[in-house]
Amino acid sequence: MATTNEKAANGTTQSHDDAFTVKAGLAQMLKGGVIMDVTNADEARIAEEAGACAVMALERIPSDIRAMGGVARMSNPAMIKEIQAAVTIPVMAKARIGHVVECRILEQLGVDYIDESEVLTPADDQFHVTKTPFTIPFVCGCRNLGEALRRIKEGAAMIRTKGEAGTGDVVEAVRHIRTVNAEIAAAKARLASEGSLGIADMARQLGCDAALLQQTAELGRLPVVNFAAGGVATPADAALMMHLGCDGVFVGSGIFKDAKTPEHAAQRARAIVKATTQFTDMQALVDASIEHGEAMKGISNAGLRPEEKMAGRGW
Amino acid sequence: MTITVGVLALQGGVIEHLSLLRRAADYLSTSSSSNDGKELATLPDFDFIQVRTKEQLAQCDALIIPGGESTTMAIVARRLGLFDQLRDFVKVQHKPVWGTCAGLVMLAEEASAVKKGGQELVGGLDVRVVRNRYGTQIQSFVADLKLPFLGEEEAPFRGVFIRAPVVEEIMTTTSGSPAEQEVKEGAASASGGQQSERGAAPGDDIVAVRQRNVFGTSFHPELTQDVRIHVWWLRQVLDAARHGDLVAL
Repeated sequence: MATTNEKAANGTTQSHDDAFTVKAGLAQMLKGGVIMDVTNADEARIAEEAGACAVMALERIPSDIRAMGGVARMSNPAMIKEIQAAVTIPVMAKARIGHVVECRILEQLGVDYIDESEVLTPADDQFHVTKTPFTIPFVCGCRNLGEALRRIKEGAAMIRTKGEAGTGDVVEAVRHIRTVNAEIAAAKARLASEGSLGIADMARQLGCDAALLQQTAELGRLPVVNFAAGGVATPADAALMMHLGCDGVFVGSGIFKDAKTPEHAAQRARAIVKATTQFTDMQALVDASIEHGEAMKGISNAGLRPEEKMAGRGW
Repeated sequence: MTITVGVLALQGGVIEHLSLLRRAADYLSTSSSSNDGKELATLPDFDFIQVRTKEQLAQCDALIIPGGESTTMAIVARRLGLFDQLRDFVKVQHKPVWGTCAGLVMLAEEASAVKKGGQELVGGLDVRVVRNRYGTQIQSFVADLKLPFLGEEEAPFRGVFIRAPVVEEIMTTTSGSPAEQEVKEGAASASGGQQSERGAAPGDDIVAVRQRNVFGTSFHPELTQDVRIHVWWLRQVLDAARHGDLVAL
């Protein structure tokens, strides 16, 4: 990344390297944790008390966005401010893909991270937001390595592998982390056998930046933190994503959808935090699964028509 | 002799510390072979481990509590039943402990700007910290710090502050005289003019503090490639080992 200087929001002169260190650094501090979708201050407090490492403020959880149809947009800033006032942990919020102005509004609000998200209706069918000029960090979704590195090249400081949000079906999240892992392994092998020329060729095929691909091959992982998202509904689902190499999980509808009472939602939230932080401890997973109780009913991914899927949004 | 240094791995930036600890140990072994006995004649081996259980904590001679979310770490530590053992480690056995960012919050006796209903702390530093001192992520920043304990001639340290806490008050202690306290102030000489820009005189903020065996930093040395603070702290760990403060060596 270039090391030209720019004026940061607090009036300091920070290089792009420093700016990116600070953006990616917050994601590094979220590792091993659970980021929960919440729609009001009460839900945000339930998440914080359960041990969530951050919350995602949005007007409707993905399963309700799916059910209601229509155009899904950035949430009302009044509701985001209410959530910011209620908790001390980081607050994230979603903007539509390509919607620069929604992103600037969220930055002005002082949220801690922006999710440029396919769960909302895309505003631009060709371009994602150029994220580097923002002071605020971005997380973006991916289905494969090329998509992840395109987002990082645009300035994303955190990646989440896309699952099918709002379904409670984990299969798409698993498919996409497996794809990313396989492509990273292929890049490593390519670097070992053919060096930078092989990487340049692979970068052309994937449609991504060769330097970032080389860095990924050398590290043996994505160069930024990668969480799982979409369809994670139970403690076992969360632990599965950790076993597949994710750095943490986003849980959307899985906590509050079909929860009988706030206490039931709190129990589910605690159980998913337990399963994520102790994903190698099988007895903890048994306890968490019992504590979690009945999961959201869900929708099988196999029954969705292609146009009903959200994960395919983004380019 | 092997010294086991743990990084509390409940949540947060764990592998970053492990990676810098390994580099710091390499640096120490190189410098001990090249500079005529300034280090131990025979440097002990270091073993660096992630700590998630009581058994792993019991193996440790020293511990880092990393950055992350202090509320999450406290909830997970409570659930794992680690709090009493952590307090014993810090305040009874007086083993060397270092907390960065959320770790500093955990090691403070008091914290303000905590979540509703408060949050549990390990304690050990007789200070009150204020969480998220500078605001939200928008106010996170990098600043050059002059850290006297690294040596007066040393180049500034690039301090990475992410939703950082600072020490707002050093409290008078009941245990230990003031002479036993060694307080390091860092950000006072932060460069770049941002301190005055941000107002509220944060030029006086205390961003690094040590009292006896407990060390805390508001910022994240583990997010840089600069190994100096990890080297300095491992030397403190070695000192403690030499003076018999560590058990079972």
